[in-house]
Amino acid sequence: MRTKRTAAVVAVVLAAILAAVAGGVKAAAAATPVVTIWTDQNRKAAVTQVATTWATARGATVNVVVKDFGSIRDNLGTVDAADAPDIIVGAHDWTGQLAANGLVEPIYLTPAVKKQFPAYTLNAFSYGLAVKKLYGVPTQIENIGLVVNTGLVKIPKSFAQLEQEALAYKKKASGNLAIAVQQGAGGDAYHMYPFFSGLGGYIFGTNSAGNLDPSNIGVANPKFLKNASLIDKWNKEGLVNAAVDSSTAQNAFLTKKAAFWITGPWNSQLLSSSGIKFAVMQMPKIVYPSVPFLGVQGFMVTKYASVHGVDSLAQDLVANYISTPSAQLALATANGRYPANTVAGKQVNDPVLAQFGRAGTGGVPMPNIPQMSSVWSDLGAAWVNSTKGAGATPARQSFTAAARSIADKIG
Amino acid sequence: MSASTALPRTSPTVKIPRPALLPRLISLFSGTTGLVVKIVLLAVLNAFAAWALYVLISRGHWVAVVVLAAATAGIDFVYLVPRRWTLPLKFLVPGSIFLVAFVVIPIIYTIEVAFTNYSTGHILTKSDAISQIKVTSLQPPANGRSYTMGVARDSAGKLVLILRDDVSKKDYVGTKAGLTPLPPGSVTTGPLGVTSAKGYTLVKGNELFALDKTLQNYIVPVGKAGIRPQSISTAVELEPTLRWDAKRGVFVRLSDGAVFADNGVGSFTHGAEELEPGWKTGVGFTNFRRIVSDPLVQRPFLRVLIWTIAFAAGTVLLSFSIGLFLAIALDKKGLRFKRVYRAIIVIPYAIPGFLSLLVWQGLLNDQFGVVNRIFHVNVPWLFDANWAKVSCIIVSAWLTVPYFFLVSMGALQSIPEELTEAGRVDGGGPWQLFRRVTLPLLLIAVAPLLIASFAFNFNNFNNIYLLTGGGPPQANSSVAGSTDILISYTYKLAIATGKGQDFGLACAVSIIIFLIVALISAVSFSRTRALENLA
Repeated sequence: MRTKRTAAVVAVVLAAILAAVAGGVKAAAAATPVVTIWTDQNRKAAVTQVATTWATARGATVNVVVKDFGSIRDNLGTVDAADAPDIIVGAHDWTGQLAANGLVEPIYLTPAVKKQFPAYTLNAFSYGLAVKKLYGVPTQIENIGLVVNTGLVKIPKSFAQLEQEALAYKKKASGNLAIAVQQGAGGDAYHMYPFFSGLGGYIFGTNSAGNLDPSNIGVANPKFLKNASLIDKWNKEGLVNAAVDSSTAQNAFLTKKAAFWITGPWNSQLLSSSGIKFAVMQMPKIVYPSVPFLGVQGFMVTKYASVHGVDSLAQDLVANYISTPSAQLALATANGRYPANTVAGKQVNDPVLAQFGRAGTGGVPMPNIPQMSSVWSDLGAAWVNSTKGAGATPARQSFTAAARSIADKIG
Repeated sequence: MSASTALPRTSPTVKIPRPALLPRLISLFSGTTGLVVKIVLLAVLNAFAAWALYVLISRGHWVAVVVLAAATAGIDFVYLVPRRWTLPLKFLVPGSIFLVAFVVIPIIYTIEVAFTNYSTGHILTKSDAISQIKVTSLQPPANGRSYTMGVARDSAGKLVLILRDDVSKKDYVGTKAGLTPLPPGSVTTGPLGVTSAKGYTLVKGNELFALDKTLQNYIVPVGKAGIRPQSISTAVELEPTLRWDAKRGVFVRLSDGAVFADNGVGSFTHGAEELEPGWKTGVGFTNFRRIVSDPLVQRPFLRVLIWTIAFAAGTVLLSFSIGLFLAIALDKKGLRFKRVYRAIIVIPYAIPGFLSLLVWQGLLNDQFGVVNRIFHVNVPWLFDANWAKVSCIIVSAWLTVPYFFLVSMGALQSIPEELTEAGRVDGGGPWQLFRRVTLPLLLIAVAPLLIASFAFNFNNFNNIYLLTGGGPPQANSSVAGSTDILISYTYKLAIATGKGQDFGLACAVSIIIFLIVALISAVSFSRTRALENLA
């Protein structure tokens, strides 16, 4: 019995030593610096290809880690420094939160490179309470547009014509929708933004330094409230309906139960393969131009890059290589989006992407300050409350309430 | 002699009863087999612990290292060294470890966070925040230059920067002493930066990459500003806007001398002005005080609490009564296809809840949903505050009925038939029998489960979040929607107020929720004990 027990102790100790040695060997193998990039599954292939090209030229190594897009932002705040990425691929509206948390590093582009990007894309990645700094290199832009089934209706020249055609089509058969725009019980302020901006609404004003000012909330500004009764009219005639959610809107357009659909380039492949003849345009001006929100995606360098000792490498990849037209074109087209770099943009010859690009003319980048998270639900809710058909709240009332609630939340 | 030999033949063979399956299985593992299994399992555990220790040490998590080492040594001791007092531990240790890992530690962490300002802008340590502020406070001066850069060593082997102005294309050599022009033509550049410099040897490859920290602190002074390497091939002229005064622990703005001092709650402030980022720090009872005083939190709290109780109680009562009814109905003797019926009833239990909740969301859509179409009604299931509440309870009940059906069915079998028989002889009707005999006996077994189900539904985040998302919104909209229960409301507080995320406040609300649930459960359990006394 005693020998057995001794054997047991020896075996257990041996296993432990073996494991420790195995761990040590693995750590010793890492010699050249590794730049770790977090991206999502959709962008993985293109990011890997572009980053590897850079790494080969530089003699460095890249490690592309796939994460759920939304969790890239949130995990960056909680991840252990040893597992943290040096570079993330994210959306411009994360900039404020990440910079306020101190998780991302400023990036300085040369004047020549800056000139290749539209000012709003660089602005979208800039944030600062007093001094505004650039925190990301934009790679691709996206926005929603009005998709028109040209086989069923004529391309509307004015909002009045859109309204008339859409309502006429809705009356044709029961179950038809006028304009298929997604909301659902929780609301969708992003897809409703063209209507919102067309009536004179805005989210945040800017202060004298040109920064977004969270105390200037335009959700119920006087210009908008003057036109808000139009929403009640649309609700009454059924031009838009809050019960339509994303799948209902998509199905309605694809099964020809709607001739107008408000959606973005993420559905362009679906559209092209549907066999429907369509055109994409900016929604006609209501009272003011009905511009959509602009979304910009790009690369950011995290504060962990300097912890890992690869900051100068990560900065080189992002500021000097990702900004080049060839890298931009590869990244954007692999993802079915328009590149942010204008030199690369001239080389895009996909007609649908180009139409979506034109639909974004004059658009407003989604506010990137962290206070925006207080806006989405309330603004979406105001639209739902005023466009849910029978029993809807007058728009003037619901948007005023939303503005008050947002101000309360921002505090 | 003959008698003695005949005895075994004539006596009936004594039949040794075969032991039951479980003891046989246990005996299979005693002796050498058991020892080997034990050694293998412990070795795997130790190997895993050794690997984890290695990782933890390399990351400097010293508290975790000590806890893990002590726990592993303790486990080895309990299973390898036979002592009288370690015997019960052999059975208790595995369960206790999981209890600590998955229950105790998250609770401790929640309590810890509740007393901090952990939120957007306050997630770093103070020293990290200070160094981050130093980085972000740098700014290019008016007409600030940018350079294409190469890192090189001069003839003496000292590190210098070879710089080419991006605009004027003039070449310089930068040292910690300052900027010196180089004769034209002595520097060549390519797409990867400076490729050669006469009189200097360029640092390349791994040697260059290893200089990361050095480059970050390498400043070529130019007047008030300094040229700082930004990547391995570029440098930018930057000028600080703030000065860190280490002695006083404050930042001073260079333009006007404004002092940004530690405000005690994780930020450097000067009046209303604040420097970002701040840091995570203890704030005492501030978060709890906000629950009471901040109108944003306090105004909807009572309304949400009442609905949460109504939702949990409604779900439990509705699903229990339906489940019990079905159990009694299917308990009838001689019923055909009993198994089929039972299988059908259990289906909602077998489908993942996430899936059925999303399906229900579609079914209940007021314009396009199947429910309204089949019944030719126009009920705003998800768009009217009251109907949405009804929907929440119905769908949750739908998901819970199979559970109570199974539980009630089991409990019904355990009620001795003699009791109902005796009741019938005494002249009781079916309702009376159910009310006076079956139900009280049933409740002894089921009441604790009812309480557990109540506590579960009290925090049933999935059902609310996936079905209505807390909506429809309140007309005087605030953080909480009409069907938000406390936990989904807490979630919204955590992600959608102020600057985005407020984990400290959310943890404080979680603690309050825990206290409420604990109180309700404690009271209910003491009531159940009274039920047991009845029997």
